[in-house]
Amino acid sequence: MSESFNMDNLPFSLLSAKEQALLNNNLDIAYFQKGETIIAAGEVPEGVFIVLKGKVGESDGSEALDKDAAAASVFVHYQDEDYFGGWSVLNGKAIHNFIAVEETICHVLPTRILMDLIHSNPLFADYFQQNLTAKREIVAQHSQNQDMAEFMLARIEDGTIREPLIVLEGTSIFEATRMMREMKADCVLAKKGNRYGMITGTDLLDAVIIKGLSLESDVSDIASYRLISTTPQDYLFNALIMMTQQQIERVVVMDGQELVGIVELTDVLSHFSSHSHVIGLRVERAETIEDLREASKGLTDLIKALISTGVKIRFTMELLAAMNGRILAKLFELVIPRDLKPHVCLIVMGSEGRGEQIMKTDQDNGLIFREGLEWPEMAAVMSKFSETLISFGFPPCPGNIMVSNPEWVNSTGGWANKLTKWSQKFDGESVMKLAIAVDGKPVAGNAALFKVARNAFLRTLRSNEIFFSHFAKASLNFDTPLTFFGNLKDKGMLDIKKGGIFPIVHGIRTMALEHRILETNTFKRIEALVEMDQMRKKHGENIAEALSLFVQIRLKHQIQRVEESKDGIDPTPNAIDLQRLNKLERDLLRDALRIVKDFKKHLASRYHIGS
Amino acid sequence: MIIPRTIRRFKERREFKDSPYAHLFETYKGDEVVSLDCETTSLDVKKGEILSIGAVRIRGRRVITSERLDIKLKPPASLTGDSIKIHKIRASDLADGIEIDDALEQVLEFVGNRPILGYYVNYDIKMLDKYIRAKYGFSLPNKAIELSHVYHDIIKWKSVGGDVDLRFDTISKKLDIPIIQRHTALGDAITVALMYVRLKFGAPLAD
Repeated sequence: MSESFNMDNLPFSLLSAKEQALLNNNLDIAYFQKGETIIAAGEVPEGVFIVLKGKVGESDGSEALDKDAAAASVFVHYQDEDYFGGWSVLNGKAIHNFIAVEETICHVLPTRILMDLIHSNPLFADYFQQNLTAKREIVAQHSQNQDMAEFMLARIEDGTIREPLIVLEGTSIFEATRMMREMKADCVLAKKGNRYGMITGTDLLDAVIIKGLSLESDVSDIASYRLISTTPQDYLFNALIMMTQQQIERVVVMDGQELVGIVELTDVLSHFSSHSHVIGLRVERAETIEDLREASKGLTDLIKALISTGVKIRFTMELLAAMNGRILAKLFELVIPRDLKPHVCLIVMGSEGRGEQIMKTDQDNGLIFREGLEWPEMAAVMSKFSETLISFGFPPCPGNIMVSNPEWVNSTGGWANKLTKWSQKFDGESVMKLAIAVDGKPVAGNAALFKVARNAFLRTLRSNEIFFSHFAKASLNFDTPLTFFGNLKDKGMLDIKKGGIFPIVHGIRTMALEHRILETNTFKRIEALVEMDQMRKKHGENIAEALSLFVQIRLKHQIQRVEESKDGIDPTPNAIDLQRLNKLERDLLRDALRIVKDFKKHLASRYHIGS
Repeated sequence: MIIPRTIRRFKERREFKDSPYAHLFETYKGDEVVSLDCETTSLDVKKGEILSIGAVRIRGRRVITSERLDIKLKPPASLTGDSIKIHKIRASDLADGIEIDDALEQVLEFVGNRPILGYYVNYDIKMLDKYIRAKYGFSLPNKAIELSHVYHDIIKWKSVGGDVDLRFDTISKKLDIPIIQRHTALGDAITVALMYVRLKFGAPLAD
């Protein structure tokens, strides 16, 4: 019913206008009282239910008869346009109980229509079914492995399928070995009648050395015909599971009756990192700024590839920071005269310094030079450096924290003094500048200069309680809006940076500074704090998990917005649109925000910050 | 001349005993109700003309939106500024509207002898009757269910001594029913249907 049914939500937005009309014409609206069973485990459900209002809990079927127990074991809640029952419909039978937690009104999409839509629209079918697989996977693993679902999306055909080396029945061991060597293959398929058997290098060795077969023996006699196969459309992840379960290193890819190739364990494992390796090589080999520009262009594609294949977000950030660092270092090397390199040090600060940026973020960089250095062209060279980076697609810093700005080009003593001065003033600007600066990390030139300045600054900070109290306060500046899930229908927008990311990053930064932790990365700072017993292990893990969830969800929204916008620019990079979250993300987000709230409470009491 | 509805119904039931419309006069035995709403050009039955008709069946606690009536009529002459402000229906929105005669056939077919539910339902029934009487010579014999009465009967015990606020938006808020699409005939019909199901089958109202 277009009057009440929101077609903008996935997967319904995938339907054509005609299919949406069909859907519309067949929806009913059902009303359920609190506690009423909507679908009972073991029953054949009448269709998929989409919540218009209210809340439905899904619980394990094993306690089907005991309503209280069922309520206690609810593992997913559905509300506000979430849909449920899809798995049961496709399965033909419900395996869980779906019970109205409060008064609930649902749209009902009958099974027959759902099936029609699945048949007529492959994308819809894909999404519908995939989401279910992912959901089950996630329910099984719960919050520990949110990246799993995304990881699963990479398919066999996205990875490396090796062309098989095929020999006919009657080929000798000697001949097969020679061919394998020639083709650089480490296994061979022997065709015997209509069947294929696999012979690996190990099999050949065993046959000749252990079993003492002659080199003229027929390879098809030593082949293993019990092949484990997969299809090009299957998930790469499944291949990995198969290999692990069967303790094998290769699976055969079959498209129907046709042999497509072989997927090897090493290929699966390296699938995600192969691109980065190539770009890294190009950066290293760049001899001109032009070469470097070309190489750095590949970075954007790399980020997209990593994200679409679902590599863990923390790993993606680390890899990207490393790549960006290499590009900066290389550019520095190309731009700075050789004899000056021991006397200057390029640092990156802010999210770049922490190694936590994803999309190419603003440049936040500065230069530290040796006390008394005479270099008249310094300003000109630094301007060129910043300009070149802009031309590489690193946007200029809106706060003008760049080497082209003399404020961020300092001698070692000058830098230490500047930090100390900021730490003694408690105005917002000084706190922010200091926050950016203490995340600084050397990327090129003489790193010793950076360390000298940093250590000089840290000495001035020793046990200055007033400073830490003021510094920590910034992390409490913004409200963490837990209540915000209550009004989902208001098309709510959450500023995830203010509500979640900044409080964690800044709180951890304060604690790290207090304990002289030299790491700049928030995750590593957390680990260090745990190691020093300044934070309980469980808390540290929760906070790290929350942060990576925020970053991941934000990234997903950024990518969607960039793709939808005409100019490829995302005007609200920190906005989380509630309408785009599915129920799992919503659940996880809610938990993560709760962790932030607790952490802020902890900061307030630890640093004696009154509210 | 004003004849009480019951007497008139009794009379017309006999008159139309052998017509194709005889079944409309039979007492309804099923468990369905039709929620119906008309958008019109005026709240005065004499002056008003129908712009659109929306209706859905309610079966038990289900609102069967897959069986529905969503009729747009040809733009009438009285479609002018004032009412457009309320229902936001312009002549161009009714470009593919149908003739009133076809619409009436569809309404009679859809409603049958089921009770008709609505918010200020007598207005809608009178509006339809104006046309039905002209065309067929009888008035809608169906039992009418007034949503605000159903609501009032339940709520009045809680507000002894005070007047009950029967405004549409108040009722929907009290019942915590989302307003589907205010001022479209079908949207209002569905909202009213949901409110009715909520009142009939839901838990007692909170204070």
